Formats: sequence, C-alpha cells, structure tokens
Amino acid sequence: MTTSILDVDRVTKRFAGHTAVDALSLSVPPGVIYGLLGPNGAGKSTTIRMIMNIYVPDSGAVRLFGTAGTGQDYSARIGYLPEERGLYAKMRVLDVLLFLAEMKGMDRRVARPKAVEWLSRLGLADWRLRKVNELSKGMQQKVQFISTILHEPDLLVMDEPFSGLDPVNSQVLKDTVLDLRRRGKTILLSTHIMEQAEKICDSVCIIARGRKLLDGTLAEVKRTHGGRHVLIGFDGASGDAHRVFADRRLVAKHDGSAQYAELELAPGADAQEILRALVSSGARLSRFEIAEPSLHKIFIDLVGPEAATAAAQPEAEVARA
Amino acid sequence: MHKVWAVIRREFVERVRQRWFWVMALLGPVFFAGLFFLPLLLARSGGVRHIVVVDGTTSDFGTRVVEVLATGRSFRASRIATGTAVLDSLTGEVGAKRLDGFLIVTDSVFETGQAEYRASNVSSIQAMEELERTLSRLVVKARLERDGVNAAVVDRAQIRIRLDTKKISRGRTTGESAGQSFFLAYIMALLLFITIFAYGANVMSSVLEEKTTRIVEVLISSLKPFQLLLGKVLGVGAVSVFQFLIWGVSARLLLTQRQALVSRMAGEAGSGPGFQMAAIPGTTIAVFLAFFLGGFLLYSSMFAAVGAMSSNEQEARQAQQPVMYMLMISYLSIFGLTNDPNSTLSTTLSFIPFTSPIAMTVRWTAGSLPASDLAVSLGILIAAIIGVTWIASRIYRVGILMTGKRPSMRELVRWVRAA
Repeated sequence: MTTSILDVDRVTKRFAGHTAVDALSLSVPPGVIYGLLGPNGAGKSTTIRMIMNIYVPDSGAVRLFGTAGTGQDYSARIGYLPEERGLYAKMRVLDVLLFLAEMKGMDRRVARPKAVEWLSRLGLADWRLRKVNELSKGMQQKVQFISTILHEPDLLVMDEPFSGLDPVNSQVLKDTVLDLRRRGKTILLSTHIMEQAEKICDSVCIIARGRKLLDGTLAEVKRTHGGRHVLIGFDGASGDAHRVFADRRLVAKHDGSAQYAELELAPGADAQEILRALVSSGARLSRFEIAEPSLHKIFIDLVGPEAATAAAQPEAEVARA
Repeated sequence: MHKVWAVIRREFVERVRQRWFWVMALLGPVFFAGLFFLPLLLARSGGVRHIVVVDGTTSDFGTRVVEVLATGRSFRASRIATGTAVLDSLTGEVGAKRLDGFLIVTDSVFETGQAEYRASNVSSIQAMEELERTLSRLVVKARLERDGVNAAVVDRAQIRIRLDTKKISRGRTTGESAGQSFFLAYIMALLLFITIFAYGANVMSSVLEEKTTRIVEVLISSLKPFQLLLGKVLGVGAVSVFQFLIWGVSARLLLTQRQALVSRMAGEAGSGPGFQMAAIPGTTIAVFLAFFLGGFLLYSSMFAAVGAMSSNEQEARQAQQPVMYMLMISYLSIFGLTNDPNSTLSTTLSFIPFTSPIAMTVRWTAGSLPASDLAVSLGILIAAIIGVTWIASRIYRVGILMTGKRPSMRELVRWVRAA
C-alpha cells in the first residue's frame, strides 16, 4: 500500500516486563480522519509515540509518506499533539507559537501572521502578548492546538485531543479538524470515547492490551462486526420486556437501561417476532428500529467489560529510545 | 542547524528577559564598586578629626604632639593643661558633637607607654595607627633626649619603613602585591564557582521544565535530543558570556573612571592608600574565560543529565548534590592553592577536569606556571567535556521521556549502553 500516508508494520514495544504494543499493524490512507481506539492502557499513546519516533520500536517499522523516514525527518509535514499537554509557562503566547513553528522548520516571519490569525480565529487575539501561565487551562489547550497546525502539516497526529475540553471548545476543535480534512489533510487521533470517534472518524482501528482487534472504515466495521441490531425505546412502562430479552432463541445479547435497549438478534431470529413478543409483554414502545450497532457496542463486545478498564501500567516506563 | 539556532535563541532571549539576569548583571558592578571604593571611604570616614590633647606631662610633650599631628592627615589638635573637671567638660563637648575626641597624656607615658584616647569614633584603623605612630615616635625621642642624646640626631635616626611586595610571575617582576594576587585569585575562584553553578543549574531547570510539561515530546518529534541539548547549553552559555561582558565593561569603566570618581567623592585628588587593583593582564582574563567555558560545558551537561533523570525540582536538587560537591572541592581548596600553587594537591587538582577550571585559574593567577601545564590541563578538560557530554547526552535522551521514579545507578548504566 504505497498510497498510504502512514503505515505501521508489525511494531512491538516492550517496557520493563510488559508488552505495551504487540505486533501492531495499521495503515492510514490520505485525506481521512483515522481513529485509534482502545481502553486506557491499550497502547494508543505508545503507538503514537512510535509513529512520532519518540520511542523506537523493538521490532517492526513505521513508514511515513510511503518512505522509511522518521518523525524528525518529516517534522515539517506532521503536527503532533501529545496526550499530556504543556507549554512554556513563562513565555508569551505568541513567542511559544513562533518557537514551536521554528521547531517544525518554519520561518519566524512566515509564522507570525499565521499565528496571529489563528489566535484571533480561536478568540485569543487579546492574549497573544500575555504569558502562558496567565491563561486558563482551556485557552492553553487551544494555544497548543494552534501550535500543532500552524505549520499546515499534511498529517495531524493527536493523542486524546478532546480530553479536558469543555463542550464549546470541543466543538471548535472538532469543526477545525473536519475543516482540515476537507482541505485534504490526514488526521490520526486516539480516543477512548467511542461516541466522539463515531461522529468524526472515517476509519478506525480498535486495540486492546497492545493488540489490534479490528480495523477498517467505519461502515465496514459496522457491517462485519455489527450482526443485526435492534434499538428499542420504552414509553414509560417496559412491562415484561426483560423476559423477551432473556430469550436466547430471539436475542443473542442485550445492553441498555429502563428507557432504552440495544439488542443483537440471535442467529435465525426475526426482528418482527421480537416486536410481537414485546407488545404482548405489555411494554409500551416509543421506538423500534432495526439498525447498525453503535461503535460503543462493537467496542464493548470486542474488548469485553474487563479489558475496558486499564491493564495495570508499571510505574516507570523506561523507553529504550 | 536552523532548529538548534532557534533553541539557542529561545534560551537566550527568555533568560535575558528575566528579572534575575538583570539583578545579577547590576549586582556585579555594585560589588566591584564596593571593592574599589569601600576601603577609600572607610579610610576617609569622618575626614579630619578635631581633638584636644589633655597634657598632664611636666614637659612640652603635649605641644609637640599637637605640632606633629598637624603634619599628618587625620588630626587637628589643640592643647589644654590638665585640671579638675577638664575631662568632664570635654566629654560633654564630645557628646554635643563640638569635638571629636581627646587624648590624655601624663608623665607615665615615658615609663609605660600608656596614653588614653577617648572619642566618639575609634574604629578607623588608619587614624588610630597614625595616632599611635605619632605618640610612639615622640615618646622614643623624649626618652632618648632624657638620656642625653641630641634631639637632632634622634630626628635624623628615625625613619619609617614601607615594605613593598612585588610578585615574580613567569620570570618577570609584576606590579602586583601578594595581597592583590591572592585577592584576584580568590575573586576569580568565587566568580567561577558561582557562575558555573548558577548557569549549570539553569540548564538543569530548563531541561526539567520541558520534561515536566511534556513539551519535550513535541520537541523530540521535531529534532534530535542531542541537537536540543546542544542548543540549550549554547544558549545558556551565551547568556553567561553576555553577563561577563556586562561585568567586564562596567569593571573597566570603574577602573578608568576611578580617579575622577574618587576625586569627586573626596574633594581632592585621590591620594588615599585604599585598595589598589593592579591591572589584570589580558592573558589572565583569557585563561579565566577559557576555563570558565570549559567548566561550564563540562558541568552543564552533567546538570542536564541530572535534570533529565529527575521528575521534579525536589528530586533534582537531591540528585545535583554529587555534581555540586565536585565543583566545591576546588573552591574549598583555594587557600591551599594560593599558599602553595605547586604542591602535590594543587597540581593534582589542576589536572583533574572536574576541579581544574577553578584550580588552574587560581594557580595561574597566584604563581608562576609553565604554559605547558596550562595546555595539558586544558587538553584534559576538553577530552573530559567530550566524554562526559557523550555519557550525559545518552542519559538525557532516555531520561527526558521517562516518567516515574528516579532511576538507580544500574539503570543509568543501562541507559548509557542501550542508547
């Protein structure tokens, strides 16, 4: 696949005594938003750090833009937002942006008007001569986001970009990312919040405990891993619906609350039969929909509730970088 | 290279913008000015003292004292014969600040050498010495006359000794006195110790800031760890050179303008004995700068490694102690170094790279030293810088990305090997 922007080929990374990433492969085509999904501790950040050449894989290889170069070689074409955010607290906002742009190989004089433009676009124009530590956490996050896109990278790598953002800033970030995709940029982002991934990702890769569970476009993933799903909404009384759900001839799996249920049909079962059974059970329905499963459902099914909680991380991550 | 330059620039600009840099820059000249002018001011404190000589002798001794004091610098005196209530009324005069003090002499001064001076200020060593010298000359003269020696002979026989000390350095007699060369060596050792430590610690806190804020991840994805370290050390180094430049220029201004400033302050041409700074030879300045830069490069890379292996300020302060002790050894040995610049201890310290920046500079300043010694010491230092930087940069590049507890010695060795 030479058309890929990014190829990760069977990379493995071990830290003192545990394997963080185990023979993971993935491939990101150009012009998409690619979601790297997994529970906490699945190896998302480690994978991203290997992509950025911050960690060197113990085995396997990362190819960027179809060649064997490293993150440093392509720093001008890549924007990277690390999981843990931080800026130089005592520097002025504009100076930080110019310095980080220089690190990406940009000229200060070219970077300056762009930085000013982005700051005003994200509502920070009045803050450009203030010191970073005078800004709120949310503002600092926006500044850091600007620093990752200021040099107009072709590939944007963002580790948990939405964590810690309020809904308003989250929306601003999402809109900006979608806008970049429209302009032909490629975005790789990691998240453990499936609802978010479902809304913006074109393709996903789900990993747990360092291994890939599945990957592909969102539509493919839903088609192949979905099974047949029924979404049910109750209008007040659910009656004896739980008995219907427990019937293994009709329902393979179910998940939900008093108001809402998501069912996976048993092999050979007919959705209409479930509808009849529910009505006769005395449940009042507000919704009955034969649908694709949510990404969240696929994720939980694949990962299992026990893996959805983080595997114990050893305290010291000693990188053999 | 563009990126290294950007790192240098950031380190330099951000540091020079900080308040502590200018505090240091201004405190330097203030400190120098103090060194130059304080002795002068002390010597002249109070200026001329107006005193009364209370004469209880049966000769004209009091009158003679008044005459001789009038030829000196510190006292203008008048004579009063002793009597009842004289001392009390004079004490009152001193209390009312109409008089600076009074000197009481009786016949016993010729037997026991005892006299008494009461004054509001008796702390000027120079003035007290003048008074003592005057009395002692006159008493000796009086005693000799009493034994029948001709007064003119006595006057001719008396001579004041002034011992001029000159240092022989590199086969040439210099204008420096022993005190001056010790003083110069001491100041240089102090400056080296303070600046190497301060700027080394600067590199450390800069490394630590990038590590704790995780900016380092973004940086390392853009340039190599060694480039980052290089830029950092050179940037902070440039700040230190800038600092020295400010100090150098202001010290030079002080030295050249000294005469003018002194005369303005004292109201007359500065003939005071005060502290005289011999002109510092250019080679000494060059040696100082070379060993400062060497010491800074050696220590700052160690401080960078310390910063990289720590995860907060507290840990770093603990971890920096071994590095600091190495630097302190040579600073603490300064008395030994100046007393005998060619002892085994001095020679050893000036060839070990961790102590040579201070030890060699002190030896060079304090005594004659063959240029070959200097070259060998500098060569060892440069070799050590290369070796230590190699090790430190390996610790640095693993350490800056590591989180969690501080590594053990064994882990450090593994980092150096694995990197």
